Amino acid sequence: MRPSPEAGGGRLTFPPDQTRRFLPSVDRLEAAMHAARNAFERGNADGALGQLAVALKLKPQYDAAWILRGRILRKTGDREGALDSFAQALKANGESKEGWMGLASVLHDLGRTQEEAEAYDRMLALDPRSVEAWIDKGAVLHELKDYRGAIACNEKALSLRPESAAAWNNKGAALLRLGDAPGAARCFDEALHFDPDFFDAMANRMYLYEQQGRHGEAVLWADRALRIREAAWLWYAKGLAHLGLLESTLAVRSFERALTIDPNLAEAKAALGRAREMREKVDFYRGVYECFGTHLVGDPGCAECEIRPRCQEVTP
Amino acid sequence: MSLPSFAEVEHAEWPALKQMCESLGLNPKGRSAVVRMRVLDHVRRHIRAEPWRAKREHIAALLTRLGFPEVSQAVWESTIQLDAPAPWLGLGQAQLAGGSVVEATRSFDRAARMGDADALLHRAGVLAAAGEYERAVRACESYLTTHAGDLRALAMQAEFLARAGFGEEAARVFRSTAESRREIPGLLRAGGTALLRAGRPEAAVNMLTEAIRVEPTDVESRINRGAALVLAGRTQEAIAAFREALKIDPHRAEALNDLGVVQLQVGQAKGAAGNIRRAAKLADSPRIMLNLASVGGSDRRRRAPKRTTRKKAESVRTEAEVATKPSPTTKPRKRRSRKTSPAETSKPSEPSPP
Repeated sequence: MRPSPEAGGGRLTFPPDQTRRFLPSVDRLEAAMHAARNAFERGNADGALGQLAVALKLKPQYDAAWILRGRILRKTGDREGALDSFAQALKANGESKEGWMGLASVLHDLGRTQEEAEAYDRMLALDPRSVEAWIDKGAVLHELKDYRGAIACNEKALSLRPESAAAWNNKGAALLRLGDAPGAARCFDEALHFDPDFFDAMANRMYLYEQQGRHGEAVLWADRALRIREAAWLWYAKGLAHLGLLESTLAVRSFERALTIDPNLAEAKAALGRAREMREKVDFYRGVYECFGTHLVGDPGCAECEIRPRCQEVTP
Repeated sequence: MSLPSFAEVEHAEWPALKQMCESLGLNPKGRSAVVRMRVLDHVRRHIRAEPWRAKREHIAALLTRLGFPEVSQAVWESTIQLDAPAPWLGLGQAQLAGGSVVEATRSFDRAARMGDADALLHRAGVLAAAGEYERAVRACESYLTTHAGDLRALAMQAEFLARAGFGEEAARVFRSTAESRREIPGLLRAGGTALLRAGRPEAAVNMLTEAIRVEPTDVESRINRGAALVLAGRTQEAIAAFREALKIDPHRAEALNDLGVVQLQVGQAKGAAGNIRRAAKLADSPRIMLNLASVGGSDRRRRAPKRTTRKKAESVRTEAEVATKPSPTTKPRKRRSRKTSPAETSKPSEPSPP
């Protein structure tokens, strides 16, 4: 934008400070935003924040700049700063979906779940077809122990996107909390059908089997999940399943691995002691049979199994 | 070594599965389901996902939707196989879009003979497009004999009944469907609307009242109920109904406009003008603009508006009925004076003749 010519052909000029404040060059503003995005993508958070300061000086009510600032600050760990940035973005543009999603994510980081749920409500009022917002709201309600509400949110998400593995998994997790194990199993099946490498669904499935005392299946799914990502709690759960199958050595190894990842995991320490005691009395060896403990009468693979008697012994 | 397809692995018998394991260098021992999962995991990790490319049938379907039915017909014809009904359905749709109703009927008949029951519904659609509503209804009925309770077929049947002028029968279908499928909203409203179209405003009021009881926040039902009340001559109740609708959604142009029209009927010219002006600001509808033009002169000439808005497809045709003369016995209700924005109070230009 240029100053308009003064009557008589002369140019109307403003003092330099006012020119910068009231007559921002659109080119300069966009250049600063572009430079900020580039710097952020390269991992230069300070550089990006510097460019954003320039952009926000040119246009203080620029929601996109505030949103980008919020993202950068969130990534650098300055949650309060990020929260303030997203709030400024929403002050500039109360209908910014990105602004509401960003605000909700920071509130989640800060553990302010009730406010996070409200942010999703506002977001969904603006865009009732946002699958991400429905899934995230369901996750918040799950954290708030409103499992029925969480199921409703995930069902809404599934009505909009039936192939959403996350929504299936979250619905299954909520059903599991409500004690509907068959319903939960169906949901985890669907989640793994749409995303066979979905870590959360594998872990949930393992918990479900462990809850049902089906240690063989629990080990199977724990192994699959551990191939994707290692976690102390997962190794611990796998160790417990090995204990159930009377595989003391494998249980000991699992607990040891859990303690290597997280030396403060007290449950693993206690369980390791139990496993060592058990090894003195009994220790089954599965060899190449990863399906140990899941014997199925009439299955051709089970009919050929070399450790069938032992497997039958530990299969519920 | 070429990888087996997912389908091959899914359906492989135990010996074949073991053979796959051996050829892929995988452990063949264990329960068959676990071995199958192992092979599937291997295939999934090693298979290269092929980029999606539109096949001829995809292109043909898109061409129909993009408005090139002739080209689409040619592409559909190239996909026809002896035993597949789907291309015939696609061809029929393209022919229908191109205006070849007879050809479309033949294509759907072929698909139906090949065992595709959906073709009957497509055929019903063609018959309706040709104005043969009774035959269309019969086609829906024959579909419903094998697919009892199919919602799509029931909705089509009711729609055709309504279009054929059998509004009461249509309403009956909607009511029975609503009773059996309580989880689906809007069926009672559709029934009430059908009754309204059939010229049964009192019955429509009853069904729409029921619809509102089931879904109290359904603004459409409330607006249609208001329209039904107008047609039944219960203008004061109609005003209340429109006001209730506006309480739920104050920015519904149809409700504002209809309220304005009824207010004009009962002699509340000032309130009517305000509501119609507000409606005109919210929706750029020629009907509202015409009403606005009429209201613009109403301060001086008190003339009933000509048209009301029509909402979407299932809205009620009230333009003819609502343009009835204002009741001379009804006294205008007094309203408190209200400050209005300059835009609302500014007089429009000279109204065009109705």
